[in-house]
Amino acid sequence: MSLFSLFGALEIGLIFSLVALGVFISFRLLRFPDLTVDGSFPLGGAVAAVLISRGLDPFSATAIATAAGAGAGLVTGWLHVRLRIMDLLASILMMIALYSVNLRIMGKPNVPLITESTVFTVLQPDWLSDYLARPALLAIVVLAAKLLLDAFFATETGLAIRATGSNPRMARAQGVATGAMILCGMAVSNALVALAGALFAQTQGGADISMGIGTIVIGLAAVIVGESILPSRRLVMLTLAVILGALAYRFFIALALNSDFIGLQAQDLNLVTAVLVTMALVVPQFKRRWFGRKAR
Amino acid sequence: MSIANKFFVPATAVAAAMMLLAAPARAQQKSVAVTAIVEHPALDSVRDGVKDALKQAGFEAGKNLKWQYQSAQGNNGTAAQIARKFVGDRPDVIVAIATPSAQAVVAATKTVPVVYSAVTDPVAAQLVSSMNPTGGNITGVSDLLALDKQIDLIQQVVPAAKRVGMVYSPGEANSVVVVKEIKELLAKRGMTLVEAAAPRTIDVASAARSLVGKVDVIYTNTDNNVVSAYEALVKVGNDAKIPLVASDTDSVKRGAVAALGISYHDLGMQTGRIVVRILKGEAPGTIASETSSRLELHVNPTAAARQGVVLSSALMGSAAHVVK
Amino acid sequence: MLQAQDLHMTFNAATPIETRALRGMSLEIPSGQFVTVIGSNGAGKSTFLNAISGDMPVDSGRIAIDGVDVTRQPVWQRANQVARVFQDPMAGTCEDLTIEENMALAQLRGVRRGFGRAVRASMRAGFRERLATLGLGLEMRLGDRIGLLSGGQRQAVSLLMASLQPSRILLLDEHTAALDPRTADFVLRLTARIVSENRLTTMMVTHSMRQALDVGDRTVMLHQGQVVLDVSGEERKGMDVRDLLAMFEKVRGEQLADDALLLG
Repeated sequence: MSLFSLFGALEIGLIFSLVALGVFISFRLLRFPDLTVDGSFPLGGAVAAVLISRGLDPFSATAIATAAGAGAGLVTGWLHVRLRIMDLLASILMMIALYSVNLRIMGKPNVPLITESTVFTVLQPDWLSDYLARPALLAIVVLAAKLLLDAFFATETGLAIRATGSNPRMARAQGVATGAMILCGMAVSNALVALAGALFAQTQGGADISMGIGTIVIGLAAVIVGESILPSRRLVMLTLAVILGALAYRFFIALALNSDFIGLQAQDLNLVTAVLVTMALVVPQFKRRWFGRKAR
Repeated sequence: MSIANKFFVPATAVAAAMMLLAAPARAQQKSVAVTAIVEHPALDSVRDGVKDALKQAGFEAGKNLKWQYQSAQGNNGTAAQIARKFVGDRPDVIVAIATPSAQAVVAATKTVPVVYSAVTDPVAAQLVSSMNPTGGNITGVSDLLALDKQIDLIQQVVPAAKRVGMVYSPGEANSVVVVKEIKELLAKRGMTLVEAAAPRTIDVASAARSLVGKVDVIYTNTDNNVVSAYEALVKVGNDAKIPLVASDTDSVKRGAVAALGISYHDLGMQTGRIVVRILKGEAPGTIASETSSRLELHVNPTAAARQGVVLSSALMGSAAHVVK
Repeated sequence: MLQAQDLHMTFNAATPIETRALRGMSLEIPSGQFVTVIGSNGAGKSTFLNAISGDMPVDSGRIAIDGVDVTRQPVWQRANQVARVFQDPMAGTCEDLTIEENMALAQLRGVRRGFGRAVRASMRAGFRERLATLGLGLEMRLGDRIGLLSGGQRQAVSLLMASLQPSRILLLDEHTAALDPRTADFVLRLTARIVSENRLTTMMVTHSMRQALDVGDRTVMLHQGQVVLDVSGEERKGMDVRDLLAMFEKVRGEQLADDALLLG
């Protein structure tokens, strides 16, 4: 595998770490199965791409894209809390609606950013090549996101959100307005995903209407692989775990891309990725048994 | 169980190590890396066309050419990783088929030569600044068709046509471009366009049915979704007696009345010829982007009969290929 | 003080399985009183408790706490006045959160939550102190997930949690029913201690007539969604389960037929 491939996997992995953090908040903390992410990821990309191509500076564009994601999360939350639509269904409705919304925002199915300035071109130092600078910048973003989230969930409101997901009845008995907490959590979750989408569009060369397909699967895979690599109950470790999970998942894909020398072809990519991810989930179990036996 | 464990963990480690250390291409061999956004008959034909053009010029995979192909399986994240992998492999040319893959590759490198293919509007996609030589590392072949000639064909097949229906995917940049332009051109000739959107391949049938009774003819461009589900369109055309005019010649075999277009394989060969020029030493920045050079008229009289039109002898005569 | 006036609640109204759970339930509890509530299955005990806490909205009637009408307020709005210990130890705590996190949640019952740290060092000292009074060694385990504790331990912590913030009424919903006799006894004695130390107005629903008479100042018996017996003071002091049953027969003209109630 070339260094390029490795850093490429790191770069894409860091972007999807943000998705993983968002999915972690909705799925694990709020126990809210949220498919909105398949729509809010491209929403972030669409808003950022359109604003940048209209001349807005990429930082403001990215910030507005993040806010748009928060809005999408609020709508999903509202559909569930206020209109009492089942959580999974509410998120599916939003995902479907966002397809049209995103097309509207973009005006066409593809908005290119190749010749536009992006947060990466603006922050690119002369002394570092871009394939190294981008992952470095993203690492800072992901680290900042993780630390902010850890701090947030240690606050009174953050604890209330965790209680809402863990035991809503008890939370209400402690005076927590669970409806508002769900809205808050969904907003933060989808804001992270939209931020990821905005950054992705800026490194990928543009926003495309199809860029959201499969986001939830990648997010969940990252969360599950992460929890398997770094089992813990503490929130600070869990946020780290899902980041590692996202990186591992993209790394596996990079490995799969480089396995043509053993006769595997392009169409086997998905199968190889699935096999590698399965091994990642299963090997830790074997290790525990293997080392456990040796200890005796 | 423990034997399996003892084998399993080291095997994984060895496999991973092997993959990490897989060596890049040898210096004297030429290498071409090809990627497409998704596996698809049309895009696969382009890839095969490229390979055939290379073979014709004496570059054979496995002999004096390292040939690599990766499909992004429809996933943009994977397309981004493929782009980076290719750039890291330092091939002599990267061929990127379809807009999302092309954008990913172009965004990933400013030095490795890139040849795009099957992109209808490369300037709008910001792959190149214009269709002229760009002086950079990008060139390629666009599958844009001169829409005037397409409308001429429609009028030759259905002379009295006033309402033209179009099934397309609103998610494909290529199609959206064509729809916009053809609407304006039709208006100039006093005709109207009735659109039917089919976001997924399974929507093609219902989109086609929605046009029944509202149009005199159904025209389709080289939309990936529609082309892969063309049989659904043919069924509606036959049942409701609406003639079908396509943009790619393969669809005529499948049941369209006529098409003035390029076969995807020919598009691939045209792309491959540009790749050969770069392999032989030309700089990509000196090569102008091309549009499909070889337009052929294919007709299908059986389909015409089924769909209720009669092809004029002039049209039949000028056809490059008549489907039996 | 608590005022419940003429509460009516019907489940599945106008269907073949219509149940009139509360039929004009009225009860007044002055500040500082400890009331035990008993009744057979279907008498309306839990429904009444849920009405007070806000888990179930009443069809008609009025509920007031210290003069404030709370009839239409949702659970979380009433929470600053109402503290509750659930029957199921799992339902009353957040399994995934630690002991100190659970207590921090309870500490803020009824208080506006902001962005300050939820568990502060200063709070920990207070938590340790209060946990030490339980004598279970839990003060050493503040950072443990509460899911690791036994049912009895969790109920004990829940009781503590309920007393961290002042409340106008403490609701205990058969909170020893899911525990073994020894642990139930421990929790009951703990209850009596906490209630008297904090002078809490308390309403305890229980399935055991014995328990109902041993604990608290006043016993109320419900039957078919209404109050049928209300004993307190001297009259109650000398009473036994048999006396209670006899009273019931006199009032209702029928015998009480609930085995669990009689034997408990």
